[in-house]
Amino acid sequence: MLNKQLWWVVALVAIGTLSGCATEVKRVGVEQVKDLSGNWNDTDSRLVSEEMIRDSMAGGWMDRHQGKTGKVPTVIVGGVRNLSHEHINTRTFVADLERAFVNSGRVDVVASKDERSGIREERKDMDLNATEATRKAAGNEVGADYMLMGTINTIIDAGSSEQIRFYQVDLTLVSTADNRKIWVGQKKIKKDVKEATFR
Amino acid sequence: MNTLVHVNKNNSSVACWGNRLPRLLTAAALVLAVSGCATYSAGFAKVETDAANRNLDGAVKSLDELKLSGADENLHYLNKGTLLRLQEKYAESNKYLDHAKVLMERLNAISVTEQLASVSVNDTMKAYEGLPNEQLMVYSFEALNYLQLGAVDEAAVEARQFDVKQARIAANNKGAKYLSGAFVRYLNGMVYEAVGERDSARIEMQKAVDGYRAQNAGFPVPQALVTDLKRVTAGAPAASEVTFILHNGLGPSLDEQNIRVQNPNPGNNSPAMFSLAVPKYVKRAVPVDHVVISAAAGNATSEIVEDINAIGERSFNDRLPLIISRGLARMVVKTLAAQEAKKQAGDNAWLKLAADLSTNLSERADTRTWSLMPGNILMARLALPAGIHQITATYYGVNGNVVGTRQFNGIEVKAGKKVFLSDYLMNPPAAAKPAN
Repeated sequence: MLNKQLWWVVALVAIGTLSGCATEVKRVGVEQVKDLSGNWNDTDSRLVSEEMIRDSMAGGWMDRHQGKTGKVPTVIVGGVRNLSHEHINTRTFVADLERAFVNSGRVDVVASKDERSGIREERKDMDLNATEATRKAAGNEVGADYMLMGTINTIIDAGSSEQIRFYQVDLTLVSTADNRKIWVGQKKIKKDVKEATFR
Repeated sequence: MNTLVHVNKNNSSVACWGNRLPRLLTAAALVLAVSGCATYSAGFAKVETDAANRNLDGAVKSLDELKLSGADENLHYLNKGTLLRLQEKYAESNKYLDHAKVLMERLNAISVTEQLASVSVNDTMKAYEGLPNEQLMVYSFEALNYLQLGAVDEAAVEARQFDVKQARIAANNKGAKYLSGAFVRYLNGMVYEAVGERDSARIEMQKAVDGYRAQNAGFPVPQALVTDLKRVTAGAPAASEVTFILHNGLGPSLDEQNIRVQNPNPGNNSPAMFSLAVPKYVKRAVPVDHVVISAAAGNATSEIVEDINAIGERSFNDRLPLIISRGLARMVVKTLAAQEAKKQAGDNAWLKLAADLSTNLSERADTRTWSLMPGNILMARLALPAGIHQITATYYGVNGNVVGTRQFNGIEVKAGKKVFLSDYLMNPPAAAKPAN
């Protein structure tokens, strides 16, 4: 009797253990908020994107530029410097902003310094290898009117098992002609992260 | 021996466990004990030997073969991160060191299961979090990796993280001056200056000077740091230079030793003295006394910027009283459990023997450390004009003899910027005789 009971217990434990051995993957909605570590995550990036897109599209700088020049403004992405306490991928929200600009039809975006080196290589190659009808000549790039740059800063207040983390993302559009700042966007995020006392 | 066969009330025969079970238990206890006999430090010797012989691929393979996981998972990340750094695979090294950092944060929380296991078996049952000085050193390795990748902004992130971590560790270890993180702050001062944060650079350099003085680790405050602090305070720009870092030798190791301590509850079949397995600090001699880096335009001699052996010794001496008192509590618990088991065993000599064996054979010292940390770190800084340079690093032993050289060709120095180069030299473990 004891042996039968023991075997049942062993079998149940084995099933319970083995069923936890396989990796489990579940697709979740992009908008679903899930904070695992308290560090910067996709939700934070999305909050920044939404705020910056809303703010930049509502700002009067596009209309003022078009009014003055008769053309839509052209923007190039400079750099967003990470001056924070975490290794943060700034490309996620910058790419969202670029997408919003392009898709709105009210802003032209040109390739950044890192992106255009590949295109220039391609043009050089075309010079040698493409037909004259399809070859794209050098010297026809569109210059940007404004450069998008920014910073992420953090302030951390840490206790023994709790941290208050404050993030501030600042994005600026600077005129490439005369260094004027024509739009400044800002998003602040504050988190209260309590570490587990027991595990 | 006669085999006893029990027939239960339902008349089904049961296998003859009556006399075999105690012997099986004893045998199992012996097998388990013997298979766990090698301490962590003994098992790591091959990794250290391969690394010392500059067979880093072999060292990585030997480390992977140890299959450090579970309670030892962090040791895998720390040591793999170090080996990858020595292989100059800086980005990959940081991935492993990042894992170590995440695990260190997670293991900060108390595990009731591990605490119980530590009290009833031994300290190796607890997940290895990393000693406070090891936790601080991770930031310097990551920062150096980023600097050698040319990613100064990322190195600055490490500097900011370090500040938060060091404050927390200092608060939890009041009076432990050796946890000032002076070397890391020295490095961070250079990082902040590189990213244009001159105020932060000055503050870090001042904290580094204060930290070196407080540590009083037996070597002077690096003169290059003092000069830098004066320069930054005066607002003068940085010179273009090559900064060379040598990982010198291997850091401290822990062996196991048995000590006898008095049983606080003797009597009632309990022994008067307990034999405790505790770690023993082993300082390993470093092969290099100083480094000279030279280029056509000049040369520079190194300074000690971190004595990990000295810090390790102080950390160990601080921890030993708690290790002994925890061991004593553990032996009291295990002795009481064994007494109870022997009472239940009645006249069964095998079960009584198994109870005694499990008490003693499970007693092991926790000899885990971040084994591949260097014994000390030497830094040489050579100001050079902007341009391409050939740099030679010559390593001198304590007798003034040359123990190694390394050539760095085509090093580009930009105006006002630092270029970071690094190397390592280790004695093979058998040759690294204890220095104490």
